[in-house]
Amino acid sequence: MDENNTPGSTEPPSAALIAVTLPNKVTVLKTFPLPGIGFCLATASDKSLIYTGLSDFSILRANLSAEKIEPAAVGVNGHTSYVMGLVRCGETLVSGGYDCSLIWWNAESGEIIRRSSDAHARWIRMLAVSPDQTRIASVADDMQTKLWDAVTGACLATWGDYEAQTPQGFPSMLYAVAYSVDGKWLATGDRTGRVLVRDASNGQVAATIQTPVMYTWDPTARRHSIGGIRSLAFSNDSSQLAVGGMGKVGNIDHLEGASRIEVFDWQTGTRRLEIEDSKHKGLVESLQFGPQDAYLVAAGGDNGGFVSVWNMADGKLLTQDVAPMHVHDFELSLDGRYLIAVGHQQGAVINLFSVSG
Amino acid sequence: MSHVRSFGTCIPAHHAVSRRGFLSEGAVRAAGAVTVAGCFASDMGQIHALRSEEVASELRNQDKRVILLWLAGGASQFETWDPKPGAKTGGPFRAIQTNATGVHISELLPELSQRMHHTAIIRSLNTKIADHGGGADLVETGRLKDPGILYPDLGAVVARELGRLESKVPDYVSLYTSTEGRRKGTSGFLGARYAPMFLSESMIPLNIARLDAVAEIDHHARAGLREALGRRFAASRRSQTVDSQNSAYQRVQGLMASAELFDITQEPAEVQARYGPTQFGHQCLIARRLIEAGVPFVKVARAWWDSHGQNFETHQELCADLDHSMSVLLDDLEQRGLLKNTLVITLGEFGRTPQINSSLGRDHFASAWSCSLSGLGIRGGVAYGKTDPEGHTVVEGEASAADLFATILAALGIDHKHEYTVGARPVPLADFGSKPILDVLT
Repeated sequence: MDENNTPGSTEPPSAALIAVTLPNKVTVLKTFPLPGIGFCLATASDKSLIYTGLSDFSILRANLSAEKIEPAAVGVNGHTSYVMGLVRCGETLVSGGYDCSLIWWNAESGEIIRRSSDAHARWIRMLAVSPDQTRIASVADDMQTKLWDAVTGACLATWGDYEAQTPQGFPSMLYAVAYSVDGKWLATGDRTGRVLVRDASNGQVAATIQTPVMYTWDPTARRHSIGGIRSLAFSNDSSQLAVGGMGKVGNIDHLEGASRIEVFDWQTGTRRLEIEDSKHKGLVESLQFGPQDAYLVAAGGDNGGFVSVWNMADGKLLTQDVAPMHVHDFELSLDGRYLIAVGHQQGAVINLFSVSG
Repeated sequence: MSHVRSFGTCIPAHHAVSRRGFLSEGAVRAAGAVTVAGCFASDMGQIHALRSEEVASELRNQDKRVILLWLAGGASQFETWDPKPGAKTGGPFRAIQTNATGVHISELLPELSQRMHHTAIIRSLNTKIADHGGGADLVETGRLKDPGILYPDLGAVVARELGRLESKVPDYVSLYTSTEGRRKGTSGFLGARYAPMFLSESMIPLNIARLDAVAEIDHHARAGLREALGRRFAASRRSQTVDSQNSAYQRVQGLMASAELFDITQEPAEVQARYGPTQFGHQCLIARRLIEAGVPFVKVARAWWDSHGQNFETHQELCADLDHSMSVLLDDLEQRGLLKNTLVITLGEFGRTPQINSSLGRDHFASAWSCSLSGLGIRGGVAYGKTDPEGHTVVEGEASAADLFATILAALGIDHKHEYTVGARPVPLADFGSKPILDVLT
């Protein structure tokens, strides 16, 4: 195993190397069991220490540098339902979940610093932290986006602009939120495929993008829906926005739609790339651009999982493979050479380059 | 002593209509023949002959009704009636206190939680069959399939037991407009007379309208002439079969006139709005209109709950629909004084697995699941039976499909041990050995 590919390697590669080297092989380096479904991931700056929020209501910490990865609980008496969002702001972790609460934790001691029990009126789906780590954004099925002071926990703003119900009269859901890398923009995406990009300082909607293919309404056979925007990622220069979900589904009993990504020059509303992958089906649960926006990493799954890497120059597939589990969240290493993923009952470290690469 | 009701050619002498006599009297074959093993009721005249006064009891005069909300595909008991918050299998949703002390249900049913005084939950169904077709066959008829006999489903039995001969409305209406898992329902050995009026393509019955080529005045004139001739004929040849012919015509006219029952635009706008925008809501309103007009059994199928993937999102949608539509239905029935005579059932072919799969779905599960009974004959505010802390098994009050069938009949005041005779074979209304769950009955 290439030492440079392991977690804990902090030295950033040279720009020249990134510019010419694209991922060429997905390889699982190691896996570690989780006592439930890992829905969300936060990492320490060097990526060696990870935190994940789970379906058993806990937050676990794991040291990926250890020979044997043994996740341990962070604190007690936290959430009372699935933990769906987790971010790290310095030495503080902030988590949110289906219990509608946000909890501020001391990342080291596990002590609860603050709890906002009614942060949202309905289930919290995801959190995002601003690049300067001063703000936290949360989205929930009350269809509101809320902005929080990362230190004091004060709610700074509440933004609506989403319909509470789908066009067919069923409850909608607000799944995804992402900050731009420059911290100026905040993107959110709902069940019906509607993306709003806001000015993060005042909530003004700067762009509205529709991705209707991400939402499947079955009007005849099953009479309900599936899909929605499950992942959002800005490019490193903040000009592009990648939107992840699933294409149209025939039998909505299953996640059998093609995994789907749409990439926009969001300020013009131009869709640059439309990627559907029928080989690895299901939801694109997490997205991240690689260094210099040369490639886009996508992960998710149906009953299984996948990791795919797409060339942002032409939208072509660079490499992909099955993941050891349905991936719900991942983070790329600083050099973009490997990713840390959490998902159904386990976590994994996955290399994106062959040794020769 | 149990009443014995016979079907087919092998019926008791005092009820028998000879084939020669029957044919010579030219009975109306109102709804087609059902011939299984050559021994089942095949026509209106014969059925009428079997409906002796001894069993056409005052039961029918009590105007009892049933609305079956069929949760097709199998709803999750965890996300409805038997939540397990905090368990590994429990999913993300909380349990909420209902207005019945000590009874908690999923937070996805907030409106129903405030109407639990009408409702008994049965949390201990173990029906064992976890495929859609087999499970539905079992739950709908209350017994396992038998290659030698076609059993009637609940709707047909209720139509048979509670329907009025003179009724001009259908005895059994089934609405199933989604295409997945669509099942028409069966009257089995009871014959086509008790088969459902089945609406699948439209919420208003097709092919019962008067033909455009026949003017309204002609339509009525023809009916009047037929009636006059029928009366003269019957005056000298009085028999059940002749009566049957006349009532068959009346029935057809009634069915033609019943089309407006399916037209919810005849309801005040405020009532339509209360039932909400979904098709299931509209169909619940149709069910209320039908019940109010005297239809004894209405089945409204809400498909499709088969949440192998994204179980929680699916239940967020479908439970919202069920919660609101059923709550408005219960309120509406109560306000109109109909709930005391109407049993509202939620039931599907099975429940869903405790295990949550990689697609965040739950799969088929028939070993420990739930249903609900509200209104007529039901002790409200009761949660009967118990599953283990993770919902894998029934640990208290196990109930079979036959027990549930017997319970429903008992709530309606029908003796589940009454027997039909099919050929020489006694067939109790609920399967042999079944027992009503007395704890949920008033």
